[in-house]
Amino acid sequence: MAIAQESLSEALLEGTREVFETMMFMTVEECNELYEGIGGQALLGSITFEGKMEGCLGLCCDTEAARLIAANMTGSDDPSDVPDEELADAMGEVVNMVMGAFKARIVESGEDIHVSIPTVVSGAELQNSLGEQAHEVTLTVNLDAAVARLTLWYREPSARA
Amino acid sequence: MAKTLMVVDDSATMRKIITRTIRKAGLSVADEILEAGDGGEALEKLKAGPVDVVLCDINMPGMNGLEFVKAARQDPANANTQIIMISTESAEDLIENVKANGANGYVTKPFTPETIQRELAPFM
Repeated sequence: MAIAQESLSEALLEGTREVFETMMFMTVEECNELYEGIGGQALLGSITFEGKMEGCLGLCCDTEAARLIAANMTGSDDPSDVPDEELADAMGEVVNMVMGAFKARIVESGEDIHVSIPTVVSGAELQNSLGEQAHEVTLTVNLDAAVARLTLWYREPSARA
Repeated sequence: MAKTLMVVDDSATMRKIITRTIRKAGLSVADEILEAGDGGEALEKLKAGPVDVVLCDINMPGMNGLEFVKAARQDPANANTQIIMISTESAEDLIENVKANGANGYVTKPFTPETIQRELAPFM
């Protein structure tokens, strides 16, 4: 399954738009040129996949952005009403849906990619890694008043160390 | 007569979204919508009393959605329970597989409120 990095980036952006516009009613705009990093306390939702291609998809944003996303998901009028314990759950579900929408765009009929249960960590300067053999696609997006970074690390199964 | 519903998903956020969507759809459902965090918990709740419609995620830790459908269909007491799967997976072979194992419907995430309403309507 050799897919051009540009196609993967496009599929990731389209999948992200579908999820945020359908479930959170939030617009998604790519903003790589404006990206200055996600500082402070952040959440990183990750989901791994294996099959014709293997790797990990991560969605990272600061706590306030996560609160805005969770509020839009659950229909809460005030993001400050969203309890901290719901943030990780919401981030896990978002990265799960983005992975599904991305996968639907890249997997050809008959090919299969198995997806894990999502995990979420919180902290500062969060980053995933898949080793030196991995390719990386990074996408930074504006979500209304929030910024999030999506990163796809992937490699052919034969490239495993 | 109001139908009894159960939402099965390991994500409390997704259970909340689905429950809210059902309530907003104006469908005739019982006051309490049951919830379960995985297939095993859902089976226990089915044993406690009949449920008309179950909306169930597939990719869950513990007993997943496919395992739940298979187990639920082993018990004749659940013969009239309609099971609708909800998943991020959109592969046709997976959808056919869960339906062959006893699921009555399938909704792909992300979904619109209209999709949930349309899928539930025949069973309400």
